[in-house]
Formats: sequence, structure tokens, C-alpha cells
Amino acid sequence: MVLTPAQRILRALVAWAVVMLFAFPIYYWITVSIKLGRDIFAIPPKIFSFETSAKSYEEVFGISLGFEKGIAVLPGGGDFYMAPRLMDSIIIAVFSTAVAVLVATLAAYALSRMRFRGQHHFVFWILSTRMMPPVAVAIPMFFIYKDFGLLDTYTGIVLVHALMNMPLAVLLLKSFFDDIPKEIDEAALIDGASRFLIFRKLVLPMALGGIAATAVLCFIFSWTEFLFALTLTQTSLKTVPVVSSTFVTSTGTAWGNMAALGTAAMLPAFVFILLVQKNLVRGLTLGSVKQ
Amino acid sequence: MVTRALKGPRFMVSDHPLPWLLPLIVILVVFALYPFFYNIFLSFHEFAPRKRALVPVGFENWQKLFADPRMWSAFYVTLFYTGVCLTIQLVLGMAIALLIDSDDRGFGFLRGVMTLTLVIPPAVTGMMFLLMQDSQFGLISWTLQSLGVLSPATPILATSSLAIWGVILADVWQWTPFMVLIFIAGLRSLPRDPFESAMIDGASAWQIFRRITLPMMSKVIAIAVLIRGIDLFRMFDYVFVMTSGGPGTATYTLSLYAWQQTFSFIKWGYGATLSLFALFVILIAANLFVKIFKVRW
Repeated sequence: MVLTPAQRILRALVAWAVVMLFAFPIYYWITVSIKLGRDIFAIPPKIFSFETSAKSYEEVFGISLGFEKGIAVLPGGGDFYMAPRLMDSIIIAVFSTAVAVLVATLAAYALSRMRFRGQHHFVFWILSTRMMPPVAVAIPMFFIYKDFGLLDTYTGIVLVHALMNMPLAVLLLKSFFDDIPKEIDEAALIDGASRFLIFRKLVLPMALGGIAATAVLCFIFSWTEFLFALTLTQTSLKTVPVVSSTFVTSTGTAWGNMAALGTAAMLPAFVFILLVQKNLVRGLTLGSVKQ
Repeated sequence: MVTRALKGPRFMVSDHPLPWLLPLIVILVVFALYPFFYNIFLSFHEFAPRKRALVPVGFENWQKLFADPRMWSAFYVTLFYTGVCLTIQLVLGMAIALLIDSDDRGFGFLRGVMTLTLVIPPAVTGMMFLLMQDSQFGLISWTLQSLGVLSPATPILATSSLAIWGVILADVWQWTPFMVLIFIAGLRSLPRDPFESAMIDGASAWQIFRRITLPMMSKVIAIAVLIRGIDLFRMFDYVFVMTSGGPGTATYTLSLYAWQQTFSFIKWGYGATLSLFALFVILIAANLFVKIFKVRW
């Protein structure tokens, strides 16, 4: 469509307005994290002009940033000290991503390069795992984990998150492997190389970009997951999304602290998502829509 | 010749796919298949508080499920929520995709900003919208009240007729960009020729969209609808943090109802039955969709 200069300017204006409307709640949430209590509850709401304070972050991370004089924050103390929960989230996301990517890379290579009976059904089985409501896994898993002593452990939640990411990882990696010409494998096979050698020395290095993108997406989905973490962890570990919903105290909801934790959880994910921009749509559609 | 050391583990030398697939199969069996059958087992049992144990109850849970008005209400809420969100996100997503799919300066940045909502934990999004819809100092409530659209006496999330719309708003905000990004990728992959010949023939913008863009995008749209539809149907996070299903049962979704029956009301068997029902509905619906629209992976 060829637009006149006036139309182009109008389009740009509307586009900026719409996108800023979508960005606004994020901006507003960040302002809540650096506001004082009285400004959070101000009517009319304060959007651009308010006193800033790092108090919420200091309480959440248990550190003194030194902006406020006379407020001593005890490390390791306080109701809102959430640094260990961030650590839990990172550990769970990293290990579940490692498991998912490792297992999925092997499977995706086979699905991309080999043909076997029932392959179509097998792919469909993987896909239907993506369709299961998490609650239908979380309920039986709770009782199974209770019997095996895996409730409230890193191992337990890591494995469930790995399962949750498996369809995404397998199908996405398969689409990346499919992009690498099969002739490479075939030529090497004729030269007497084994499948494993071809996989490790030829295909894997060429698929590194795709594997990295897959890993980033798995990390993000584990990082943001709520239902499994809520059901399968209790006291010894908790992820950020789960504790975010528990900041309701007897004196009301601690919005500032909650926003500080939420912002701290969002910012690393923002950086990650910008890293995989190129493969994002492919990831969101499990490898079926390419950019 | 390649030496054995270079060939890797003995079992991986062959061309058989099994060694490659085995770890995946083990994980799927242990964490998907086993829980599935355990869930079926649970659905034929119920926790007896006096005996402090599961006792077999036959088909009682399934009979109860189909006779339970709260289940049907939750089912209806889930379908309503899925349908409304899907429609809004499709239309809005396509409109915004067409709007920001441009190579003009600054549009790359705009597309980048549109990805941000996708990585926010939905539980955090729920809290954001809980704050913004607070009846006293929430930004959205305040704006609507100032415009005279909303009476200060009707808190959005605590009014039966409005609560679901408050949740829908959070979902639309977070997931419309999902559609936007997929549609932009789809738009960019279309061949240019049909558009050029249509423009030479003097077709209007609407005609081009209706007759060329939409049909050529059908595969991409089908995939976006399938994935989003599945996620909407099993939605849990927003209602859990924003309304806990209330007021009354106005925002109970099937997932939330199943979870609460199991963990809040200790109806282990009935909760399992509810979650299985949701699972069957979604598998049947998704399969029909895949067949009808010929979605392929």
C-alpha cells in the first residue's frame, strides 16, 4: 500500500499511541515500585510526578542502597525479604531449561532426520502434552510427589517445568534441524561417520543459534510459570510469581514491595526476550510459523 | 575409517531412533502418562476424612460432575472467557499488526516494545491489574469514574457482572501482542505479486485485505487461534490472584474450580475428576480444530 506523507505521519502517530498504551501498565508498575506509600494511594493517581524512594527494593533485596538516611535494613530480615525467592526462581529456571534442552535436542534430531513407524502419532503425543491443562497434571503430581518425597524440592519442580517445556523445545528444535540440509548428514553417512558423530560435529554446531533461542524461551516459561510452582512447592522454596501473590498483610497489600519484586522479575526477562527477537514467533508457535 | 572413540557411545552408533528418543519417552511416560492414569484412578476414589484415606467410590464423582451446577457455571465461564478473549485478541491483534507492520523509522522499536508483555509472569500481571482496578485508588477505576462510565459504588472485580471483564482486560493486555507478533511474521512472509496486481486493478484496501491478505494468512491465523485457545481454556493464574473465582462463582474457571476442590476443600477425587473433564474437553476440541483447519506441524 502506497501512503501519502500525511498518511504516513498519521499512521506513525496512531502506532505510537497504541504501543504506548500497551507499554503504560509496565511503566505504571515500575513507578509503584519506587513510590512512597502515600503516593501509591493518592487520588487522583500520580503518574508522572511523585517522590521517588528505593525503600521497596531495599526491603525486598535486604540491602541498604543508602538513598534514605536513617533507615536501616537488616540483611536477611523483614517480611518482604525476597532475594532467596529470586534465587529459587533462577535455580529452577536454569536447571529445568538444561534438562529440557538436553533431552529435546536428541529427540528433535531423530525426529528431523530419521523416519520410523508411528512417527506421526509420536509427534502428536508430544503436541497433546502441550494441550493438557496444567491443573490436570498438578493434581496427580502433588500426590505422586508426596509419596516419593519430591514435594517442595528443587528436583520435583525442575522436572515438572522440564516436562512443561518439552513440547516447545522438541518441536522448535526440530524446525531448526529441518532448516539444516539433510544432504550434509547423508554425505557424512556415506563416508562412514556414525549418527552421533554427525550430530555432534556437524549438525549441533550449525544449530547453536536455534538451541540458544530455545533455551531462552524455556527459561522464560519456567520463570513465569505459576500453577505448578504454587502446587508443588510449600515452604522450603518458592518462585517469584508465587510469592508475588502473597504480599497481602494484615495492614493491607504491600503494593510497593510487590511492584519492586515484580519489576525485578520482569527486567531480566525483557533483556532475554529482546535477545531472541528474531526467533520469537517461531518459538511462540512451536516452530510452525517462521519469521 | 572412523575410530570407535570418535563414533561415540556404542548404543548411539546405529541408525535406530530409539536411543535418541528414549530420554524424552521416559520423561513423557513418568510426567505425563503416569499422572494421567493416576488422575483417572483418583477420579474413582474420594478422600474420606474419618478414615484419613482414599476410598473407592465408583462412578460417583463423574455422576456428581454432570449434576453439579457449579461445574456447569465454571464451564460456561471458561467458554465465555475463551470466546471473548479470542475474538478481541484476534481482531485487535490483526488491526495492530497491520498498523505497525511498516519499515518506516521507529517501527522496529515499536515491535520490540510489543514483545514485552509476553514475558511478564501472568501472576504479576494479575497483581498489576488488581491494583489498577482497585475501586478507591486504582488508575483504571479512577479513569472510568472520572469519565462517568463507572459508579464509585461498583468495584470492578467485586461486582458479579463486571469481574470477568476485569480479568478479560488483563488477558487482552498481556496476550494481544502474541497475536500481533505472529500476524506480523505472517504478513511479512506473503508474496508481493498478488498485492501489486490487485493495486494495479484498483482494488480498495478493504478488498485487498478481505480477498488476499486474510485467505493467504489462514494457516497462520489457525495456528495462533489454536495455541491461544488452548491457553485461554486452561487459564488459572489471573482468576487465582485477581478474584479467587469470586464474587460468588462469577469468575470460577474449570481449572480454578478443580484446583480449589482438591486443595482447599480436600475433595481429592472430585478435583481430579474436574481436571480430567477439562483435559478431555480441550483434547477433543483441539483435535477437531486441527482436523477441520488442517493445522500441520
